[in-house]
Amino acid sequence: MVTTLFGYTIPRSWAAYLFILPCLAVTTLFFLVPLGMTAWMSLNEWPLLGHPSFAGLRNYLALFVDASFWGSLLFTVKYTLVVTPAIFLFAFALALLVQRGARFVGIFRTAYFLPVVIGMTSASLLWTWLFNDQVGIFSALLMDLGLVDEPVQWLGETNSALASIVTMVLWKAAGFTMVILLVGMQAIPVDLYEAAALDGAGWLRQIRSITIPLMRRTFALALTMSFIGSFLAFEQFFVMTRGGPFNSTITIVHWIYRASFTYFKLGYGAAMSMVLLLILLVLSGLQLWLLRDDKE
Amino acid sequence: MRIPPTLRRLTGALAGLLLAAAAQAQTEITFWVRAPDAGFVEPLVKNWNASHNNKVALTVIPADDFVTKFGTAVAGGAAPDVVAIDLIFVPAFSQAGQLTEIGAEARALPYAKSLSPSHLRLAMYEGRQYAVPFSAESSFLVYNKDLFKKAGLDPEKPPKTMGELEAYAKKIAGLGKGVKGFYFSGACGGCNIFTMTPYVWASGGDVFTPDNKQEALDTPALRNTLAMYRRLWEAGAIPAGAKTDNGSSFISPFFTGKIGMIGSGAFSIGLLKKEHPELDFGVAPLPGDKGGSASFAGGDSIAIPKGSKHKKEAWEFIQWCLSPEVQVEQFAKNGSLPVRADLADNAYSRQDSRFAVAAAQMQAGRTPYSVKFNQLINDPNGPWLAMIQEAVFGPGVDPAIKNAQQKFRQILAAP
Repeated sequence: MVTTLFGYTIPRSWAAYLFILPCLAVTTLFFLVPLGMTAWMSLNEWPLLGHPSFAGLRNYLALFVDASFWGSLLFTVKYTLVVTPAIFLFAFALALLVQRGARFVGIFRTAYFLPVVIGMTSASLLWTWLFNDQVGIFSALLMDLGLVDEPVQWLGETNSALASIVTMVLWKAAGFTMVILLVGMQAIPVDLYEAAALDGAGWLRQIRSITIPLMRRTFALALTMSFIGSFLAFEQFFVMTRGGPFNSTITIVHWIYRASFTYFKLGYGAAMSMVLLLILLVLSGLQLWLLRDDKE
Repeated sequence: MRIPPTLRRLTGALAGLLLAAAAQAQTEITFWVRAPDAGFVEPLVKNWNASHNNKVALTVIPADDFVTKFGTAVAGGAAPDVVAIDLIFVPAFSQAGQLTEIGAEARALPYAKSLSPSHLRLAMYEGRQYAVPFSAESSFLVYNKDLFKKAGLDPEKPPKTMGELEAYAKKIAGLGKGVKGFYFSGACGGCNIFTMTPYVWASGGDVFTPDNKQEALDTPALRNTLAMYRRLWEAGAIPAGAKTDNGSSFISPFFTGKIGMIGSGAFSIGLLKKEHPELDFGVAPLPGDKGGSASFAGGDSIAIPKGSKHKKEAWEFIQWCLSPEVQVEQFAKNGSLPVRADLADNAYSRQDSRFAVAAAQMQAGRTPYSVKFNQLINDPNGPWLAMIQEAVFGPGVDPAIKNAQQKFRQILAAP
C-alpha cells in the first residue's frame, strides 16, 4: 500500500507514523523523558542542594526498611478501598437519576458535575473551612439541632478525618464518574429496555440484567480512573489534615513530597515514585483483566 | 594616536552622560519574606520604594513552604536578591551554601556590637557570617486581666512557676461559659518551639545537647512540661480546637476574651492594642517548674542568597532595614522590637511597660542551633510535633518522648 504526501509517494505505514508523530512527540517530551530522568535520579543520592552521586540500588533497598513508606502505602490502600467504591456507587446512582430526559434534568446534570471543575486544592480549602470547629457550617448545624454540645473536631481523629475527606472527594469527583457512566448508559439501545418491559421486567430487573452487564467496559474505565486518582491522592490531605492527627493520614504521594522537599532527598523520592508507578501498573492491569469483556 | 580636542570633549561628555544614565537606571531588587511578616514588611517596602531609586519587588511566601520554595529556587538558579528568613533556618541555608558571606560588611557596621546576639550566633556557620538580624521576636506569657479578676486571682500577679500557671488556668476554666484557662496551637511545631520550650529551659532542660549535635529530650524538665499540658488538656482547661490548630489561629482565640493565658510573642502586644483595645491584658515571662523564666529569641535574619545579581544594591537595602528609620519609626512604632540593643529604649517602647518585658526577654532569650531544624521541629509531620501531639492528646508523655528520641536520632545521624 502506498500513499502520497506533497506529491511524493510514501509507504502507507509511514503516513500512519506521521499522524501519530505530534502525539508521540508530546508523550516523549512530557512523559518518557521525565520518566527516564526519574529512573536515573532514583539510582543516585540526589540532594536538592549540592551534587548528586551514583548510589546504585541503595535508595530502593532503603525503601524496603522504611516504615514510613509502608505506613503511607497502607494508608493509601485503605483510602483507595474506601473512596473508589464510594465514588462509583454514588456516581452510578446519580447517573441513573439524570439518565432520562426528564424536565430540568440538564440543571441537575450540571449541578452534579460542577464541583469537578473546581481545583482539588481550592475544594480542599473550602471544605477545611466547612469542617472548621469555630466557623464551619457542619458543627454549627449539629449544635443548632441540639445533637452535640461542643463543636465537632472533624479533622481531629483519624477515622473522622478520613471520613471527612472521603465526603469531600465524593462531592468533588462523583460528577466526573457520573458523566462517564452516563455515556455508557446512553449507548445501550433503547429497544432492549422496551423488549424487557414487554416481557414484564421491572426497573430493578432491567438495571440488573441489561444496564450492568452491558456497561462492563464503562465500569472498567470509570473504576480504573478513579482508582488511579485515589492512589495518587495528595492535595486534599496536604491541605485538610497535613498528614495529621499523629501522622496517621499521610498518603504515598505526600510522603514522596516530604522526602523530596522537606528532607531534600530527591533520589529517594524518585525511587519511591518508580515503585509507585510499578504498583499502579500492576494493580490497574489486574483491574482491567478482572473487568475484561469476555467477547474480546 | 592623536585625538582631536573636539572629539575628546565629545567623548568626555558622552561618558558623563552614560554614567549619569547608569546612576539613573533603576535596579529591581527582589525580596522574599514569609507570610507572617507581610504585615510589617509591606509598609517597609512601600516606604523604600517611595524614597529610593532602586525598587524592591516583594514576594510573600507561605511560612510552611518557605524552606522548600527558597531551596528549590536557589537550586534552580532563580534565587531572589534579598531574603528574610526565620533566624532558625540560617544555619541550614548556610551549610547548604545558599547564602553569600557578608561578615566583613556586617562587622564594619557602626552598631555591629548592638545587634541581637541570638541572631548573630545563628548567622554563623563554620566561622563565617551569612546574615544580619532583621526583626526580633521574643516569647512570653500573655494573660487576660479581666479573667484573672473574675477567677479571684490578682491581675498584677501573673504565675511565677509552672505549678501556679496550671492552677490559675484550671481556676479560670472553672468560670465556665466557654472560658478556658490556656491555649496553644497543638498542631504546629514551630509555634511550640517558640512558646513551649521556654518552660523546658526555665526548668533546666533543653531539646538539644550543648553541642547541638544530639537530642536531649529525656529530661524531667521536658517530661514535666508535656505533663502539665496534658493535665490542662484532660481537665478541659484548653479549647478542643487547640488539637488541630496548625498555627493559623495561634493568638486569635485570645481575641475572644475567653482565654486566660497564652504563650505568644512581641508582635501580639502591638496587635492586641490596635485590634482589640477592649482587652485588658498583661505580659509576663514564661516560668519554669520552680520559678525562673526563659524565652525564645526569634525573629528573622536578612541575607543575600547565592546567585543574587544585585549584591551591592541588596546590601544597601539591608543597611537601610537596620537604620533607626526602619527599626524605630516602623518596627517599634507598630509594636515590635528593634534588633539593635542601642535602639531598644525608644520613644515608643517608653509608652508601654509591656514592651520592656518583651525587650528584656529578647536579650535573655535562647535559640536552638540546628542545621536539621526544619525536619526536626517545623515539619508538620516531624518528630517534635508528633511528640507533642502524642504526649498531650495521645497515648502519653513517656511513649511520646521515647518515639521522638528515636526519630530525632535518625534525622540527626543522617548526612
